[in-house]
Amino acid sequence: MDFPNIRFDMIWEYKELFLHGLWVTLSLTALGYLGGIILGLILGMGKLSKRKWIFYPCKYYVDFFRGTPLLVQILLIHTALIPTIFGHSLGYFVSGVTALMLNCGAYNAEIIRAGIQSIEKGQMEAARSLGMPHSLAMKTIILPQAFRRMVPPLGNELIALLKDSSLVTVIAANDLLYAGKVVSGAYFRFWEPYITVAILYLLLTFICTKIIAYVENRFSNSYVPSSRRKIFSFGRSA
Amino acid sequence: MIKIEGLHKSFGELEVLKGIDYEINEKEIICVIGPSGSGKSTFLRCINMLEEITAGSVFIDGVKVNDPKTNINDIRKDVGMVFQQFNLFPHMKVLDNITVSPRKVKNMDAKEAEILARQLLEKVGLADKANAYPEQLSGGQMQRVAIARALAMKPRVMLFDEPTSALDPEMVKEVLDVMKQLAYEGMTMVVVTHEMGFAREMCDRVLFMDQGLLMEEGTPAQIFNHPNHERTKAFLSKVL
Ligand SMILES: Nc1ncnc2c1ncn2[C@@H]1O[C@H](COP(=O)(O)OP(=O)(O)OP(=O)(O)O)[C@@H](O)[C@H]1O
Ligand SMILES: [Mg+2]
Repeated sequence: MDFPNIRFDMIWEYKELFLHGLWVTLSLTALGYLGGIILGLILGMGKLSKRKWIFYPCKYYVDFFRGTPLLVQILLIHTALIPTIFGHSLGYFVSGVTALMLNCGAYNAEIIRAGIQSIEKGQMEAARSLGMPHSLAMKTIILPQAFRRMVPPLGNELIALLKDSSLVTVIAANDLLYAGKVVSGAYFRFWEPYITVAILYLLLTFICTKIIAYVENRFSNSYVPSSRRKIFSFGRSA
Repeated sequence: MIKIEGLHKSFGELEVLKGIDYEINEKEIICVIGPSGSGKSTFLRCINMLEEITAGSVFIDGVKVNDPKTNINDIRKDVGMVFQQFNLFPHMKVLDNITVSPRKVKNMDAKEAEILARQLLEKVGLADKANAYPEQLSGGQMQRVAIARALAMKPRVMLFDEPTSALDPEMVKEVLDVMKQLAYEGMTMVVVTHEMGFAREMCDRVLFMDQGLLMEEGTPAQIFNHPNHERTKAFLSKVL
């Protein structure tokens, strides 16, 4: 086997392309995830509804987006759905964000539904017995508690979405992976560009992991703020 | 004040309440006793519609609770409930547990709600726990906070579902003492309990429920000393 002589100088030449790709990947992920959280919240609640005309559409939506490949969804949205609705393409970015959001929403819906269901029934009953309407009880009593339990799986979802966002290169989005493809096409070299792409993805997922760990830590098992907990462990009262 | 007419409740095929009629007057203390599974909790929970009523009706101050036109949230403001498992909100400090409902449901301003909450904590003997979280309290303390939380809505009736059953024996008294104080202050109370001492000492009427029916009803002296039904006798001989 001939080991190639690595030339990272050619990457440096294209640094702006990679930086732009990094930026596109980050914005696609961030917007897709944000939309996915909001959509997931709506769908997750919908899947908890007793009303069939709310439950079934939400269920079928989730089943569809979890049961088909994201790659297919991206192509369907970019080449079929959006041109049909608007008469022309709205560009890769709109299609990309839309696809990622719709897909992420389906996964988040399951996480959010499970999180809400994991809260003891007595919490809702206590809130309702105090005269709170269902929506208020959900907002002030159930969701804040459920949210803590959702943080780890929602964090996994963020990292998965970050990596899956690379699929938008098929619709010629100039994201991070696309930068690698351009460079490899220009030089007919493959090690340097794709290793660079891999390292940059790794860097992004690493940063995400750190952020998630921080959030998880802030919402650890106990509701007592940690400084107070320390005081208590010395046996003094607050 | 509370009127219950032909109350039926089924869970699917299972008929849990099989037609209950009863009337509770203002300032009465009613104790509900009976064997496990007889429908005591279900009966209580039908009064504030935590369970949907299958047939019959419940009136509170003449307002039909299970009328689709009735806003159940308005009814519940007047009906406090205390649960066996306390059901405090673990993500809120004790003070916020008590103020959240007056603030969000009655739009009371924060200052006023806090003053009210501190008064209630004083009353249940937990003035020093305002800033603690539920997980830092003992069972007895949690249940007393739960009582304060219910009282913060200034209810006209309080429903208690086995408020001391989840407590260690040494904590039962502190909760019962708070309930006694409430009773002396003239609160209307419906208490499902296994504390026969409390039933005997505090209640105006005792209801004995068995298999979804109100088998027997009377003053504590009647029920405990001269029960009529065989079932009542059998139950009492087991618990007394
Ligand atoms: N949500 C529910 N779904 C189905 N069955 C139920 C439900 N809640 C209660 N039941 C059934 O209804 C019957 C009466 O229950 P209930 O809790 O009212 O009894 P109880 O008198 O309070 O008993 P305990 O003393 O054990 O609390 C039981 O057979 C119980 O299994
Ligand atoms: Mg019960």
